[in-house]
Amino acid sequence: MVVGGFSIVVIALVVFVILVLFAGIKTVPQGYRYTVQRFGRYIRTLEPGLNLIVPFIETIGMRMNVMEQVLAVPTQEVITKDNASISADAVAFFQVLNAAQAAYQITNLESAILNLTKTNIRSVMGSMDLDELLSNRDAINERLLRVVDEAVEPWGIKVTRVEIKDIQPPKDLVDAMGRQMKAEREKRAQVLEAEGLRNAQILRAEGAKQAAVLQAEGQREAAFRNAEARERLAEAEAKATRVVSEAIAEGNVQAINYFVAQKYTEALTAIGSASNSKIVLMPMEASSIIGSLGGIGAIAREVFGDNGDGSGVPQPSRPRSGSARTTPSINPLPPKET
Amino acid sequence: MFDNLIVELGPWSWWLAGLALLAAELVLPGFFLVWIGLAAIIVGALSLLFWESSFWVWQVQGLVFAATAVIVTLIGRRYLYNNNQVTDEPFLNQRGASLVGRTATLDQPIAEGRGRIRLNDTYWTVSGPDLPVGTRVKVVASNGRELTVEPV
Repeated sequence: MVVGGFSIVVIALVVFVILVLFAGIKTVPQGYRYTVQRFGRYIRTLEPGLNLIVPFIETIGMRMNVMEQVLAVPTQEVITKDNASISADAVAFFQVLNAAQAAYQITNLESAILNLTKTNIRSVMGSMDLDELLSNRDAINERLLRVVDEAVEPWGIKVTRVEIKDIQPPKDLVDAMGRQMKAEREKRAQVLEAEGLRNAQILRAEGAKQAAVLQAEGQREAAFRNAEARERLAEAEAKATRVVSEAIAEGNVQAINYFVAQKYTEALTAIGSASNSKIVLMPMEASSIIGSLGGIGAIAREVFGDNGDGSGVPQPSRPRSGSARTTPSINPLPPKET
Repeated sequence: MFDNLIVELGPWSWWLAGLALLAAELVLPGFFLVWIGLAAIIVGALSLLFWESSFWVWQVQGLVFAATAVIVTLIGRRYLYNNNQVTDEPFLNQRGASLVGRTATLDQPIAEGRGRIRLNDTYWTVSGPDLPVGTRVKVVASNGRELTVEPV
């Protein structure tokens, strides 16, 4: 079978058509955008799905991933404002929003974002003190995001978040921070203890003071009452004496003599009947007993008149008031001169 | 041997080729073998009709096959498939477009036509009439990176 030129052309044509179809039919998967270049110049962007491009003059330029992507920013050394050297790493999320811009405005997109993030981490952290840095992660993230997102705008991408992952101060610094915290807590504990003791002592002193004051007040009150009692007693005695003396002044002196004599003899009886005493106490003037008897006799005479026989009875002199010899008794008050 | 097989099978060889291409489409990625396979099957159907005719030589069959492949591709692109199919996730990978209709408060005043709002825990540059900070705005359109807003 002689193969003619026509036959060869036909075979070539079939192969060519297959190749053309292969070049012209472009299926774009979801999550990607393909840029189309006509003679090397950007023309349009292919959306996900089945697309046809004109073979020969149009080619696929870039296959852009438009899903959100994660970039791990590697650990780097940063010097803070107060000259502490720390190592920090971060993570950045970005998404291509405009495939054409991301494809042609910037070469090596990921490296660009990475370097931008790294330098901005340095500048943001370098403007803060270490303490600020450790406690203000949100603020750092926010500042980073704002700066980086503004910077990537011409590239048609969006940095959705930048997060500082880990901040590692050097080990000796961490130790120092730990010691500082411990010291602060200890200081607080000691201050509290001292305050407690001080308060307790103050309270105790106040209690003692109050107790003393109350005691003194009690004593003062008691003294006042005692004095009052004595006053009242004196008053009562004075009144009693006055009544007695008034009674004497109004009546006869013999009435009192009777009482005195009675007491006197009663006292003698008591002395005499002391159970185990061999000694009998007698008043110095034994005769005064007799005198007192005489006093009774005198009273009797006065009462019954002078008609009784008093021959056996010794006649004592009529006692005058104020005579201590004949009236053996305490004479508390001198007779009032009227 | 291969020639003999084709001669022996006659028109069925096109059918065989077509089915093989369709099967290959299922296995291989891409979306172009299916059209060639369909073209082969169509040529096979025509072969059954014209197998005895004098003009239906293999060269003609080849030309018809090539033409059919192109035509089937164009028709398939036009009618069997369009890019605006209904999907249950119309805003996949279109971050800006998915925010249309949302409201937010201005984080920065809109000055010289540009400001900033915070949505979904990130910042968006917005354009619209000049407004002070704290104004409630509604996203009405997006061009990818930038959102167009108007005061609520």
